[in-house]
Amino acid sequence: MTKVVLIDKSDNQLSCIKGPTGPEHRRLANEVMRQALQQASLQIDDISYIIATGYGRLNVPFADRQITELSCHARGVSTLFPGVRTAIDIGGQDAKCMRIHDGRLISFVMNDKCAAGTGRFLEVTATALGIKLEDMGDISLKATKRIHISNLCTIFAQQEVIALLSRGEKPENIVAGLHDALASRVAALARRLGIEPDLVLTGGVAKNIGMVRAMKDSLGCEVLVPEEPLITGALGAAILAKEIYTKAVEAGQVLPTKSRRLEKATFFAEEHR
Amino acid sequence: MSWFMGIDIGSAYSKGAIIKDFQLVASHIVISGANYRTSAETIRTELIRQTDLTHDDIGNTVATGSGADNVYFAGRKASDIVCTARGINNVFPQVRTVIDVASQSTRVIRLDEKGIVTNFAVSEKCAAGSGRFIEVIANVLRIDLSDFDALAARAKNPITFSTGCAVFGESEAITRISEGIAKEDIAAGVNEALASKISSLVKKLKLEEPCAICGGGALNTALVKTVESGLKITLLVPPHPQVVTALGAAIIAATSANSEPREEVEPANTGP
Repeated sequence: MTKVVLIDKSDNQLSCIKGPTGPEHRRLANEVMRQALQQASLQIDDISYIIATGYGRLNVPFADRQITELSCHARGVSTLFPGVRTAIDIGGQDAKCMRIHDGRLISFVMNDKCAAGTGRFLEVTATALGIKLEDMGDISLKATKRIHISNLCTIFAQQEVIALLSRGEKPENIVAGLHDALASRVAALARRLGIEPDLVLTGGVAKNIGMVRAMKDSLGCEVLVPEEPLITGALGAAILAKEIYTKAVEAGQVLPTKSRRLEKATFFAEEHR
Repeated sequence: MSWFMGIDIGSAYSKGAIIKDFQLVASHIVISGANYRTSAETIRTELIRQTDLTHDDIGNTVATGSGADNVYFAGRKASDIVCTARGINNVFPQVRTVIDVASQSTRVIRLDEKGIVTNFAVSEKCAAGSGRFIEVIANVLRIDLSDFDALAARAKNPITFSTGCAVFGESEAITRISEGIAKEDIAAGVNEALASKISSLVKKLKLEEPCAICGGGALNTALVKTVESGLKITLLVPPHPQVVTALGAAIIAATSANSEPREEVEPANTGP
């Protein structure tokens, strides 16, 4: 997903838009930006400073600066939860655990090597179960037991899920087991860093109530979830943009900015094809 | 009675073999499907049909593989590691290391001149370390598994997968297709990724030559070549690479019937 957050100088959110990324859309950050401007009734020229973050942060031609998603997440989460010490972000592509102090990132660990430790594990197994990803949380609440999933690999777990279904196991009990499996892996990752409350969970997986509960059980502590868990990175980027810009203005400096034209991204390789 | 049967029920395919005087006389392979019991029965019926025998002619049957429990007509079960070692020893008595590339696991087994297992390593936690990685990518490329080999052999610039995960690899293959990369180069890239995982597993055990490769992965000659160049060795490929373990099970059936117990204690796994 591509997310855009626009804020004013008092940190009020003027707009917040999520759009698809995907292979064909990754050139189209401009489309999501256009929608965000529309929501805030602003023109692109009205925006003082733009920071891009995330894996595709270099694919935003109109961004003035790029900052890593870890720094932006840390900033975004600590804006929403000033007491945060540990932040866990579980997306479809990776899982990140961050130690935060006074809004600053102290250390982090991440898994982007194995799908079984990311939200992708749930996406793939939901397909095998024939249920929607967004329904998994509610379905798991009906579980009467939690089935242990013995395979680590997502692909082998997908096969195990099918075997469990054909054995007559109830989908809700399987889903509860899948939540436990993912939660225990992410908790193990977080433990390498050390867990200190307040702990905040973000990313798409945080929208799954069953996963939030499973994380709470696996971590053995309270788990706080923002109202909109997908946008903490973009929110952090917006706040950092405001801070950098304000500091420059106070120092009487003029920050270099990119052309405020909403164009789709082009890639170096394409120009030489 | 001089006929013996071995049945190997794997996660993807079920294999069966009949031997007479320690020679393979019939073999059969079916997709394991949802009912392993039916697969085992189908194999037995087909093997008996091929050899013109009756059930009573079979001296003993040994079952192996992850679904061995479903072979209700087997006299006993045996470890698939031991069966693969006995099977390869029957085909190539000189072999001291065998690599078995299956759908759900890759196994490297060291064995002595009698086919006794001396050490082994298994990769079964991760689909990217087994033949399944190739199945997953073949599916994305919309090609039949049997055509994968020929496709990969035509590659000019094999891609390098940036991930060691089959699920992420699947997405990466889709991205490469959308970028217009040739199917050949993607197929060869998967072979290279799997070959490098196989090589690291082989290196966990001290490789002793001659070395053979079996399992469904051995049918992929492009993969075999990639493993050969990675390890800088020549690999022996048996004529029926998928039925080596079933053959070994039949040999165990024969030897245990002749009351020659030579069942070694399975050594500790040196794997992760």
